[in-house]
Amino acid sequence: MNIHRKLMTGAAALALGLGVGFSPALADNIVFWINSPLASSPDAPIYAELKAFEAETGHTVELQPVAHMEMERNLTVAMSGGAGPDVMALDIAWVAGLANAGLLMDLTEQTAPLAEGYQKGPLASGRFEQRQYALPLYTNNVALFVNNKMLADAGIDKAPTNWEEFREAAIAMTNAEKGTYGLTFGGSRTGAFQLYSFIWQNGGEVIDDEGKVRVGEPESVEAVEFLSSLYTEHKAMPDSVLTANSWDEVNAPFIQERAGMLVSGDWAIAALKNGNPNLDWSVHPLPVGKQAATVIGGYNLAVNANTSVGDASWQLVEWLTGPRSVELMGKYNRLSAAAGAAAPEAIAALPEEIKPFMEQADAGRARPVVAEWSQIHSEVFGTVWDSVLRGQPVADVMSKADAQTKSIMGQ
Amino acid sequence: MGARVYPYLMVLPAVLVVVGVVVYPVISGIMTAFYDVTLRTLNTGTAQFVGFRNFERVFADPVFVQASTNTLIWVVLNVVAQLGLGLALALLLHRAMPGIGFFRSGILVPWVVPSVVAVLTWRWMYDPSVGIANEILLKLGILDRYHPWLGDTATSLYAVTVESIWKGTPFVMLLLLAALQMVPRSILEAASMDGASGWRKLWYVILPQIRVSFAIAAVLTFILTVNNFNAIWLMTEGGPLNSSEILFTLAYKYGFQRFDLGKASAVATMLFVGLVIATTVYLKLIQAKEGD
Repeated sequence: MNIHRKLMTGAAALALGLGVGFSPALADNIVFWINSPLASSPDAPIYAELKAFEAETGHTVELQPVAHMEMERNLTVAMSGGAGPDVMALDIAWVAGLANAGLLMDLTEQTAPLAEGYQKGPLASGRFEQRQYALPLYTNNVALFVNNKMLADAGIDKAPTNWEEFREAAIAMTNAEKGTYGLTFGGSRTGAFQLYSFIWQNGGEVIDDEGKVRVGEPESVEAVEFLSSLYTEHKAMPDSVLTANSWDEVNAPFIQERAGMLVSGDWAIAALKNGNPNLDWSVHPLPVGKQAATVIGGYNLAVNANTSVGDASWQLVEWLTGPRSVELMGKYNRLSAAAGAAAPEAIAALPEEIKPFMEQADAGRARPVVAEWSQIHSEVFGTVWDSVLRGQPVADVMSKADAQTKSIMGQ
Repeated sequence: MGARVYPYLMVLPAVLVVVGVVVYPVISGIMTAFYDVTLRTLNTGTAQFVGFRNFERVFADPVFVQASTNTLIWVVLNVVAQLGLGLALALLLHRAMPGIGFFRSGILVPWVVPSVVAVLTWRWMYDPSVGIANEILLKLGILDRYHPWLGDTATSLYAVTVESIWKGTPFVMLLLLAALQMVPRSILEAASMDGASGWRKLWYVILPQIRVSFAIAAVLTFILTVNNFNAIWLMTEGGPLNSSEILFTLAYKYGFQRFDLGKASAVATMLFVGLVIATTVYLKLIQAKEGD
């Protein structure tokens, strides 16, 4: 009995000792909201990556996928109430608004020594009023998708590289009798997102680096005129441009071979492959205007200002956005924002359809990092695009948009 | 004493639940309309009392005027069409004939279909390139080319209204069919013997008999229509160019796109007061008629 008791006590002590020895001193549980495409199935690469993180740090991560369209609202509502995740994936356009509301943890001190490890543009997208609130998980930009067969049938032997060729190709592929169009484009705020690259390409600005609103300037007006005329004058866009508020709706005419070109980001690749595996398409840098420019997109990782596991959350952000992100994002056919991803050998290893995005990365421009951006994008530019498509004079619409933007910005 | 208190103790849990989940949120929402509640002030706890300032800001927004007009059109069309069609269908299905059960069940399908599924189906039907609505109208010679029903500012609100009527009518039909089955057969037979025609029988005999159910259907349809956020949001998000904006979607945009919760609460408060007044007046009128 005595021996038995001693054995039991010894075993308990051993188990306790082993437990203490192998467990981290402070193992935390991190709640992590991620944009749903990255966690679309149980075998998505993010799960293996989080397992590796858990094994290395002893922390546990509770991953919760959230749809892109729901993410900003859900985060804002939850975090304003003092709840929400510890770590979150944010579209780069949302960082300023959430940081301005005091909902994101200031990561300036932690990130300062790591800045060299990231591409400059994507890193800047996590900065607001000189403070760093987020680190880039992946980056993207918009390029030109072309239906090779439709282009060849229209008698054009190469993808357009400038605005004039772009317009000619769009018109050449348009055939009212066959119901084919040169270009599929988004409506409202989706179309507005596609619009920015063209405004910058024409030397225009939305809000410059000094915070001055420049929406109504002639270069911006000319760019909007150029694009809208493809629908209003040349009828080179299908009527779906009036209602296409999601990328699925924008992609549909291209997938159905009713539109020969599509302006979109790398997120379209999977949709095109799934939607029409037999489609013969290729990706090219966006046609260049007075200068090259393409709108930067992507997702950042940030930490909730009210988290109780701040250190562990930061560890997770550093882990996922660091050098390992090159391989992780490669598994998703997405572009890591780590500096190593821009190295020539890393670009050479990319799939063919991804290379054009990386090749034009230097021309990438972030949307204005101002707290009011979501409102300006949806309410001002969404309305601009809807208005000009319905025949309202571009100069008048842009002048009104300029005044509205200034009003929202308190200028 | 104990016997007097006991019943109150019994209902106390229910009262507490109602106060917690109904009364408190309503009062809190109304209070918010008088404070400057934005994302920043909410997070820092510095929301200040601003009196009627949120209401002034709402009235100064030109979209509010458009949304109010649209709400009126939206409600009138929905209520009139759903009551009219619901009554017609109820009369049609209130007869004994073989297979009537099948038709009664079948007509309920739109009501049973989840609203998201219904709305997305209608979106495809209205598609400006491949939508079946355009195809049918083209085949019938009503259109000479496809029309972007949801993309045209002149038709977007009416296109969504059609979906809403399709979805809501079976519920009205169900209420009125139940009421029709309660009408004593002897009264109808007496009317027939007195030589009353179909229309006169409907107007002077049937409608007075089902007027309470009709009133309930009207009030419920009114409330459900004003609060029908799904149809408009999922089909047009109030666009294009606010052409299908109603007060509910406007309040949502103020609250969850601009995160200006004070302004959103101001619109919600006006909607709430409007609903209470309209419903009370209508029910009073019905009661007065009942008294006559």
